[in-house]
Amino acid sequence: MAIEIQTPSTWQQYRTLLGKDLRREFRTREMLTSMGMYALLVLVVYGAALSQTSHSFDILQMSGGLLWAVIIFTSLLGLNRSFAHEKENGCLDGLLLVPLDRSVIFLAKATSNFLFMIVVELITVPLFAFFFLSTSPADTWPLIITPLLIGTVGIAGIGTLLSTITVNTRGKDVLLAVLFIPLIFPLLYACVSATTVALVGGDVEAIYMNALLLAGGYDVVMLLLSWVLYDFVVSA
Amino acid sequence: MTQQMKRARESAGARCDRYAPLILGIGAILSTLGFILAFTLAAPVNGAAVDGTELIGDQMVSNQLLFSQKIFYFHMPVAITSFVAIGVAAFYGIRFLMTHRACYDMRGRVASEIALVFVIMVMCSGEMWERFEWGVWWTWEPRLTTYFILMLLVFGYFILRAAVDDPERRATYASVFSIVTFVDVPICFMITRLVPSGVHPTIFRSDSGLSPDMLIPLLLAMFGMFCIAFGVYRLRLRCAQLDVRLEALKERLDD
Amino acid sequence: MRSDRLSASNTQVDTQGACRYALRLKDVSKTFGNRHAVDHMDFDLPRGAFLSIFGPNGAGKTTLLRMLSTLSRPSAGSIELLGIDIKEHPDQARRHIGFISHQSMLYGDLSAEENLMIAARLYGVVHPEQRVADMLDAVELSHRRLDLARTFSRGMTQRLSIARALINDPDIVFLDEPYSGLDPHAVEVFDELIASVRADRTFVMVSHDLDKGLAACTHALVMARGRRVYFSSREDLDRDSFSDLYRRTVGMGVS
Repeated sequence: MAIEIQTPSTWQQYRTLLGKDLRREFRTREMLTSMGMYALLVLVVYGAALSQTSHSFDILQMSGGLLWAVIIFTSLLGLNRSFAHEKENGCLDGLLLVPLDRSVIFLAKATSNFLFMIVVELITVPLFAFFFLSTSPADTWPLIITPLLIGTVGIAGIGTLLSTITVNTRGKDVLLAVLFIPLIFPLLYACVSATTVALVGGDVEAIYMNALLLAGGYDVVMLLLSWVLYDFVVSA
Repeated sequence: MTQQMKRARESAGARCDRYAPLILGIGAILSTLGFILAFTLAAPVNGAAVDGTELIGDQMVSNQLLFSQKIFYFHMPVAITSFVAIGVAAFYGIRFLMTHRACYDMRGRVASEIALVFVIMVMCSGEMWERFEWGVWWTWEPRLTTYFILMLLVFGYFILRAAVDDPERRATYASVFSIVTFVDVPICFMITRLVPSGVHPTIFRSDSGLSPDMLIPLLLAMFGMFCIAFGVYRLRLRCAQLDVRLEALKERLDD
Repeated sequence: MRSDRLSASNTQVDTQGACRYALRLKDVSKTFGNRHAVDHMDFDLPRGAFLSIFGPNGAGKTTLLRMLSTLSRPSAGSIELLGIDIKEHPDQARRHIGFISHQSMLYGDLSAEENLMIAARLYGVVHPEQRVADMLDAVELSHRRLDLARTFSRGMTQRLSIARALINDPDIVFLDEPYSGLDPHAVEVFDELIASVRADRTFVMVSHDLDKGLAACTHALVMARGRRVYFSSREDLDRDSFSDLYRRTVGMGVS
């Protein structure tokens, strides 16, 4: 039963792995429903937390921060799950046995995490605006898209590296948060300031660009590091 | 590795260990000297870090003679030393990933322990400074925040270690995490240049405005702190090595 | 992109004639600190052999198997798989490896066909649809190819995982405790299947079951504490004295 084997390109392998994650998700909707529901619940908690503020209180001022808080907590939930099914039946070993560059596993997983989070954000951000923004934001509000994208890329990249680590540890849910939130902090800080300034207005040019540069730089450094270190982590 | 090289390395290590208490002593003397000079030689400073008049914690701070500024002579050397310790941990992290030898993991762990001690000292002295100089217990000022994050990362390193059972896997994860942690060090160091806040002055620059009478105690204290950190590191490492040997002997006794 | 075509019956290494041996281990060790999981392991295994590895818990059987299958790197020594140094060229070696373990390595939420399809695509099988259909036929799961792997019984899961492991037509197949969790009937089916795919493939199996392991093997390896206690081909093997030896080594590991 001789068969022909042709070394597949990295791109083909990447597509196969990404397709596998998307197909799983499409079938079970496990990540999207749990993340979406969780985001909605955080918004409900916000509702209670902000219910006693006076009418003159302008939530717009802190909307950037509140929005990112939802995103961070929701992404934590998703990242925790992203490797659970790989571990379940030893599937990760199955992937490691294939002649394939380890960074492809990283890139495919980071991409699927990124896509799931983007979908959740597409629901969360309008909902957030609907629930909480009584005053209309500044005209620059479409600019929040860039920090959202940059932030999500960083979260997906760093989160994929860390969730690969924590899936093999005791108490993995808590540990992921313990490692993830401090590590993501500079990115979070920059993204919050860019988002806030875009929503509130003001000295948009200076603060916005500065924050985006900081966030982008952090993304590049962290993604490169994660990419290089991933081989060690996943084969350990 | 040949037997000869191994022996040479061991003897170098032994020499280091012999001098470790001496270096520790020198460090203690130098840093104490630095602190004494800080009180005697260095002039009191006007509102240390504040440029012009600023409102911090409902208090106008502009031109007080600040005795609490003396904390600075402890605060900054310790902070720099903690950066170095984290850097050393990251270096041994890289060495470990290259070689997968347990001894580098041990060095990385010990360096992280030193970093932990120094980071906590920095947070404590910084906290005092904050209270007495700015009149607040806490503020989300950029450098303070990034340093706080650094502390959380060092905590995270040890929590991570405790959560992995397999020694080799633990070593790999810890090494990777210490390398990633190190990224926060330049950010913390540079943040006062990137985001001017007025609270933390930029010290290392050509026009830092530190007069010699301030610089001398500062440098003495810094060098002293380096010596202390190195001495403690060597002693702690020796301790850890003996622990490992003890374990090995116990196992052989069991057989 | 590199596109070196190779079919299993005509590998490059074969034409060089350099691989009479499926596996050649020279002084292979896996150590971490004081812990010696595998200690100076040497043996040569000819092609087409069936090696059973015996030993008590914690003897390093699984560690050895993981090293042989490129899942973990030896600390010292060299392993040649069909003449390929797996430290230098792990990806080349991986093409010839199949791995069946007590874990299925299957995604529960994907169908049988999809599971095999993913594996076939990752390995770069040229006509994946055809190959997957063939393999499903071979393990008699064609009628359930669209069902989710989660819904399969333990025996069916095991059959599917055999199909997954053989999708790249490997020359060497590793079996890690394949019998655990199988009922007697499933064990029978499993044995038949393995016999039918035996062909000229080399098998390496780790098992606790002495009788099962001895029935199938052409070579036997007994390990205790990471060391090789016994290695021989079946012809030279006296059943009774072997059982005796096995019992003694198992006892040794327990002490």
